[in-house]
Amino acid sequence: MSTYDERNVEPPTTDAGDVDGDAIEELLGDHVLDREQHLNADAYVVRADAVQDVLRTLREEAGFDHLSCVTAEEHEDRFESIYHLKQYDDPTNEVSVVVPTSREEPVSESGASVFRTADWHEREAYDLVGIEYDDHPNLERILLPDTWQGHPLGLDYNQDKPQIVTFEENANPLEGDHRGGEDSDTMYLNIGPHHPATHGVLHVETVLDGEQVADVNPDIGYLHRCEEQMAQKGTYRYQIMPYPDRWDYGPGGIINEWAYARAAEDLADIEVPEYAQVIRTMGAEMCRIACHLLATATFALDLYGDFTAIFMYGMRDREVVQNLLEDLTGQRMMFNFLRLGGVVWDIPEPREEYFENVRDFLDELPAKLDEYHDLITENEIFQSRCVDTGYLDPEVAKDYGVTGPVARGSGIDYDVRRDDPYGYYDELDWDVVTEDGGDNFSRLLVRMREIEQSARIIEQCVDLLEDWPEDEREIQANVPRTLKPEAGKETYRTVEGAKGELGIYIRADGTEKPGRFKIRSPAFSNLSALQEMSTGEYIPDLIATLGSLDVILGEVDR
Amino acid sequence: MATATPLPDTISDLLGIGGLAGELLSMLLAAALVGTIMLTMTAFAGPWAKRKITAAFTDRISVNRIGPMGLGTIIVDAVRLLSKELIIPEGSDRPAYDLAPVVLAGSAILGFAVIPMGNGIHLADPETGLVFVFAVASIASLGLLMGGYASNNKYSLLGGLRAVAQNIAYEIPLVVTAASVVLFTGSLQMSEIVAAQGVELATIAGIRIPAWFAFVNPFAFVLFMVANLAEVGRNPFDTPEAPTEIVGGYQTEYSSVYFVLFYLGEFVHIFLGGAIIATLFLGGPAGPFLPGFVWFTIKIWAVFLFTQWCRSAVPRVRIDQIIEIGWKGLLVLSFANLVLTAVILGVLGL
Repeated sequence: MSTYDERNVEPPTTDAGDVDGDAIEELLGDHVLDREQHLNADAYVVRADAVQDVLRTLREEAGFDHLSCVTAEEHEDRFESIYHLKQYDDPTNEVSVVVPTSREEPVSESGASVFRTADWHEREAYDLVGIEYDDHPNLERILLPDTWQGHPLGLDYNQDKPQIVTFEENANPLEGDHRGGEDSDTMYLNIGPHHPATHGVLHVETVLDGEQVADVNPDIGYLHRCEEQMAQKGTYRYQIMPYPDRWDYGPGGIINEWAYARAAEDLADIEVPEYAQVIRTMGAEMCRIACHLLATATFALDLYGDFTAIFMYGMRDREVVQNLLEDLTGQRMMFNFLRLGGVVWDIPEPREEYFENVRDFLDELPAKLDEYHDLITENEIFQSRCVDTGYLDPEVAKDYGVTGPVARGSGIDYDVRRDDPYGYYDELDWDVVTEDGGDNFSRLLVRMREIEQSARIIEQCVDLLEDWPEDEREIQANVPRTLKPEAGKETYRTVEGAKGELGIYIRADGTEKPGRFKIRSPAFSNLSALQEMSTGEYIPDLIATLGSLDVILGEVDR
Repeated sequence: MATATPLPDTISDLLGIGGLAGELLSMLLAAALVGTIMLTMTAFAGPWAKRKITAAFTDRISVNRIGPMGLGTIIVDAVRLLSKELIIPEGSDRPAYDLAPVVLAGSAILGFAVIPMGNGIHLADPETGLVFVFAVASIASLGLLMGGYASNNKYSLLGGLRAVAQNIAYEIPLVVTAASVVLFTGSLQMSEIVAAQGVELATIAGIRIPAWFAFVNPFAFVLFMVANLAEVGRNPFDTPEAPTEIVGGYQTEYSSVYFVLFYLGEFVHIFLGGAIIATLFLGGPAGPFLPGFVWFTIKIWAVFLFTQWCRSAVPRVRIDQIIEIGWKGLLVLSFANLVLTAVILGVLGL
């Protein structure tokens, strides 16, 4: 644990931290065709058959060990895959690797053998945009059904063409291995999409050896709502902001909105007034507490089995936060509170009463957390279920692009709020929580301790807001009604969501709508590590591990 | 105090009917009475008391709209459950699939035949009453396994197998612990066991403490309570159902009447567990002031409350852990308890 001050991190920059661009170009040598400037990082255009070489060099020799996201997009004359690389030690050090391929033959080399997380990201790129990846372990559709025709984010895609597929044409998950075959000792089991413990519509294809899990394959996409495409059809200024609330509805709405706001403000060069930043910070941390309370409650539900005391206590306490958020934003879940350049309105009047309510909540929180510790973390049966189950090695976690409480539960000291500060976080006094266990118990502890830290942040925000001079309460910067960032501007910005690093990539095309809008969902990457964590364990541990990952399928499937 | 006359004889005396036909009739009447008592209790426990108790533990209100304190829910739920469509899954093993719920519910109710409930409500009092009760109670495992494999559902199969593995692991400690009580009484007859607890253990400040085996051998009592939790499949040992893991276990595919039977069997089973505990450790229907039957009811409801408390507050252990606790923990402890009790009794020359 170390505070922002101790780490002495550079203040946010619009370039790629202290990365030496020329040195990297030299390192990559012949593979580099061109260099571009993205707002967040230098981008190197490389040959489509050298992706593995480039990624491996960057990972092993330049220390870029975090493949945050893979964005795919189609231009008039080419396809592009963009690998957004960062460093776990200092995420302000970024590079982007741009891999163009021709429109006639959109084949690019897969990076999955270098970064395991590229597996799922490239499948999504293939699914939605239509780029094919050579040497990919399993290039299948991931969000859309296998029978889908066309690639919806491609330029040639015909939206009006009906996608009518008969029931028989769909893959039947029961076919073939219904009983695991004649001479097989294993049993194939569908956990979900309708199952009490999958936290939404997740389908986990499981192969069992007795009660032990021999293989796991999460099948996602049941809640895919074309969020990226909808955002691409909306104007920057007003029409996109309502969508982020629908990603992590834990409710992490304000944090999600902030992810979009951060990227768009970067793109349109908007300065957010400090006062608004404080309100944003406070709102985001309230959302984080609500999310973590929900995660704790549902994790306990997964382990206890019924709607037990701890689940209802979690709901009861989350209700208090929800009420505070409702007072602040006017909504309980779909806040739509942030605006580019600020927030939609000030703290509700009477301000004193609102702050009083917040302080009441903060005062009661430690006692409630103690109650949780009494009920769950200090319960021996609970410990025997959580300690040393669902182990996630830190190196494996980095390989899968795991972030957030899951990464911090594996001892990875990584938090975007501190390492790539935004909002008001760098002015406040708080700690990044890590636990070294890497098991289900550590992840639970991280969440519970993060609630305390979020409470600290909120308390400082309330102090600041209370004393803010009345004539300096500027809630929005002066932002034009229509935003048209110039064509070709690209940026990838992340914030620390309740589940981890939530990133937004936007490419402006000179109109008032984004040319490409890509969401990097933390739960998506975290879920992809499930197989590593639960193979060889019992079904109950698989369920517990899934619970401890705290996936929100609305965010995974987007 | 339980009277020595079994209930059928009381009824035939009362109605003045004799002979084979009269005996049969009074037997049926008595069985119907006991069955009705237990089913009524279950009707209260399942749709109403369980909800109210769980709600109290979890800061909720629960049913309160229909009737006073929501008691009308019992009727509404019965109608609702019975009028649902009975879905038989494709490929299910028919006679077994239909038989399983009946076996489960039947085995639990059968056990009450030898339980002395006070005020003369005691169907039969065979010399091997205790063995009979354990024997019929464990038929339930058969019902669970049948339901599990006959449903043609993998979750059901897992649940059925878990149920059997768990019941075998906990049946033995249960019986061995009960045997340590039998060492005191020297008899397997239920009325004898109850009578043996009628004597005075000590008098503290003028209050007479009876020699209930819960006081005489508290260690055995605790062991039995824990093993009983596993036997009736309640937290922390509800792995055969384990809703978050294997959906509903053996009862996943059951609907309508069959589901009601499963549900009912489960609750009767909990009550039977409570009845065994009451008889073995809590002096059966004994108690001051109130009639025996009321005391008996209070005791088995107390055990029911305990199971619901555990359900609301204790996490479930994993299936491998539960087997480990059973074979390596409870079994050893129950044998230690048996041997120790035998040695102490031998030394004291009782």
